[in-house]
Amino acid sequence: MSGVAPAQRFVGQSVRRVEDRRILTGRGRYIDDMQLPKMLHAVFVRSSVAHGRIVSVDVDAARSMPGVVAVLTALELEGQAYPLSIQPDVPNVERPVFTALASDKVRYVGDPIAVVVAEGRYAAEDARDAIVVDYDPLEAVASIEHAENPERPNLFDDIPSNLLYSEHREFGDVEAAFEGARVVKLTMRPQRVAHVPMECRGGIADYNSGSGDLIYYATTQSPHGLKLGLSGVLAQPAEQVRVITPDVGGAFGQKAGLQREDVALCVASRMLGRPVKWVEDRVENMTSASHARSEILEISAAVDDDGTIRGLDVTMRLDVGAYPVLPFPPSFLGPIVRTMMTGPYHIPALRWANTVYATNKASYGTYRGPWAIETLAREALVDRIARELGLDPLDVRRRNVYTVEEQPTEMVTGPTIEGIRASEALERAAELAGERDFRAAQAKAREEGRLIGLGYSSYIEPAPGPPNLFPSMESGLPPERAYARLEIDGHLTVTTAQAPHGQGHETTLAQVAATEMGIPLEHVRVIHGDTQLTPFSVIGTGGSRAATMASGAALLATRSVKEKVLEIAGHIMEISPSDLEIVDATVRPKGDPAGGMPLANVAGAAYFAAPPGEDAGLRSSSVMHEPPGGWSGGTHACQVEIDPQTGVVEITRYLVVEDCGELINPAIVEGQIRGGIAQGVGIALLENALYDEEANFLAGTFMDYLVPTVMEVPRIEIEHLEGDALHEVNYRGVGEGGTIAAPPAVLNAVADALGGVPITTLPMTPERVLELIDG
Amino acid sequence: MSVEVTLTVNGVQRSATVEPRRTLADFLREDLELTGTHLGCEHGVCGACTVTVNGASARSCLMLAVQANGADVTTIEGLLEADGSFGVLQQACADSHAFQCGFCTPGFLMAATELLAENPKPTEDDVREAISGNLCRCTGYESIVTAVMLAAERGA
Repeated sequence: MSGVAPAQRFVGQSVRRVEDRRILTGRGRYIDDMQLPKMLHAVFVRSSVAHGRIVSVDVDAARSMPGVVAVLTALELEGQAYPLSIQPDVPNVERPVFTALASDKVRYVGDPIAVVVAEGRYAAEDARDAIVVDYDPLEAVASIEHAENPERPNLFDDIPSNLLYSEHREFGDVEAAFEGARVVKLTMRPQRVAHVPMECRGGIADYNSGSGDLIYYATTQSPHGLKLGLSGVLAQPAEQVRVITPDVGGAFGQKAGLQREDVALCVASRMLGRPVKWVEDRVENMTSASHARSEILEISAAVDDDGTIRGLDVTMRLDVGAYPVLPFPPSFLGPIVRTMMTGPYHIPALRWANTVYATNKASYGTYRGPWAIETLAREALVDRIARELGLDPLDVRRRNVYTVEEQPTEMVTGPTIEGIRASEALERAAELAGERDFRAAQAKAREEGRLIGLGYSSYIEPAPGPPNLFPSMESGLPPERAYARLEIDGHLTVTTAQAPHGQGHETTLAQVAATEMGIPLEHVRVIHGDTQLTPFSVIGTGGSRAATMASGAALLATRSVKEKVLEIAGHIMEISPSDLEIVDATVRPKGDPAGGMPLANVAGAAYFAAPPGEDAGLRSSSVMHEPPGGWSGGTHACQVEIDPQTGVVEITRYLVVEDCGELINPAIVEGQIRGGIAQGVGIALLENALYDEEANFLAGTFMDYLVPTVMEVPRIEIEHLEGDALHEVNYRGVGEGGTIAAPPAVLNAVADALGGVPITTLPMTPERVLELIDG
Repeated sequence: MSVEVTLTVNGVQRSATVEPRRTLADFLREDLELTGTHLGCEHGVCGACTVTVNGASARSCLMLAVQANGADVTTIEGLLEADGSFGVLQQACADSHAFQCGFCTPGFLMAATELLAENPKPTEDDVREAISGNLCRCTGYESIVTAVMLAAERGA
């Protein structure tokens, strides 16, 4: 042994989370934990009807109630905030214009009409109950079918119908694909679901009437995007808007973008010159925050008798609710779904049609794996093809899935497929699931009157996707920036554009930076969530960007600081920087564990007496552009047993074989996978953000909207494959795969248990399963 | 109308004058500034607001502060050892990566605290049963179950 200690490598280890010290002791600071001097409390008055004209809003009694400071309606907001709309440069899309508080019309149950600001929340809620809104009701647009019906009223008077967007595209030779082929058809219509972060939305607007500065403390996953939106809508110069994100209790896409309540709160603070806090309650969150899914997808597949899929003809109809969540235009989802439609399969032709409608429902908000409908419908389709052709679903997957040998190649929709292990994951999942033994057990169970089933789903997840993914969707993937700064004591501060809310970025980015810098993990602090400090990113945390993009940016910024350190150390030690290394916070000649000087001494020297020509500040700013590859993916396998008497589905086994490149922190990766699957299980079996035919919302509480508990989520077995690295930054996201792949895995398992019955909607509640059993 | 309440919170006697309608959760969070207890639904389902009252877990969103008059209440802030280090359950949670966003965390810790006090050697089914009234949206629960089992093994 040479006695040379290797530089400590934190990447790849399940190191304990930095965040846990405060989270496990009750010292986290979430929005509702913050109290500012002279702070007021706001509550919103919301529409009780789905669609109607506002005749009057009587706020007089409320304004004179004890503790009430102000009641603002759309009238008071006039001249204080511009009306809201999507960016003017989005092509071919209708552009609803609306106000933060509903002015002439209400368009869904929960539409904000007024905001009551009082000395305390109890006083504000008392006053809210004294406000009387008189409506002239309009017929509701409660479904896509209603929206397509010209007899129904339009939501927006200046838009000629409730159709907001339509698109037709063709990739490959669709006509040739269908010529002489067998056609297998499937319609998939999943339910509306809600994101349900355990912390609801909220914010504190703090406008200083002396300086004219606005600080907005917000539960957001996109602080810079929110700042940008607020600055524009409030006509508040960008340098006088600062968004600060405290600890955020989950988001899953719901806390992205500019919310109408954000605008109303900031106006209230600016008018009153005092901080104004709003924290929504759960009923408000379920009713008003946003929902997702509920697309109607119709597929015709051209197939050969051996199960080869020659082409797809797909129509998607999407209900985006009443108001777009800015900055997302109503057209944003279609291109993602169509681009991902063929998934991990080599399918050479796709015809695509997409229509998007406004309805009297809560806004459609991007939810974990927004394109999930393609995974759900396509994986159900694969099983349907097998059923109709008398083939094994695994064989149909085998016949169509990308093999390692054919890569790199391109999806028919454009993106490069490179470095994915779809074929290997499929085989391994089948092996682990004990496919052959299971089929014997299933036959035996059936004789005993027991219903057991095994289903698979294969998927790929852009995490963040290859460089040509976003151009394929006619959009761009913004680069990701990070700053690194060596502190005077030799510790490192990394500033990220991410806005984490459970993903553990304070830990994973520190692992990457500490490994690169050659310092202990405890010497790194990760800063996030303050637009005054952090680099710009319109997205923040979303789109599975952190693993590759934020880690890459942190790596590059740290490396750049390290180069500066070695330069200065080389000058001090009179040795070439290329002959130096940093190990355990000591700068030393390579391979000389006894030599060198503490990193803190180099930092101190740089701060107080930088060598001539050297930059005194040991700071760097770096940009990460997307590397090749960029896919996570794999296969899920799910076993279920169905009680034929009650219709209850029990998941008896669940396993995942996936590839997300190198794992920065295996425990965090597996937490993302398991958490994503839990949400997918909820979508498959429990959750339903249900509206009735008059667009009344029926799922406002946790008694009506069932979130999976520990009793419904099984233990999840995970096996990681790790393909060849295409780039130095070989970490990829895993946040969305669980949520997109679990619903079809469960659906296929239930269908299998029931002898291959077509299942075209979710959730598969006991009642619904009994209907399926009864045929 | 206001009412005087006196109770013990995390071993410290506290007195305050509150409106009768004030919830125990708001009293703890706002009047006593113990913000570790969280409000996730305010209708008694999610369990984030769980505290222990005289050793038994209770939903502080459904309980009024006046109902806790004279009681001994423990919140997540009361779980640290005297020297400021993690308690056994907290350490097991850190070691197991039990939580992600941290919002549901206080409720799970208090529910598990009650379980381990009553049943120091729980089976996995016991653990699942004990935390079945708490919702977590991030983790899929497996890491939480693992952490509570680990805490039991270590003699929490």
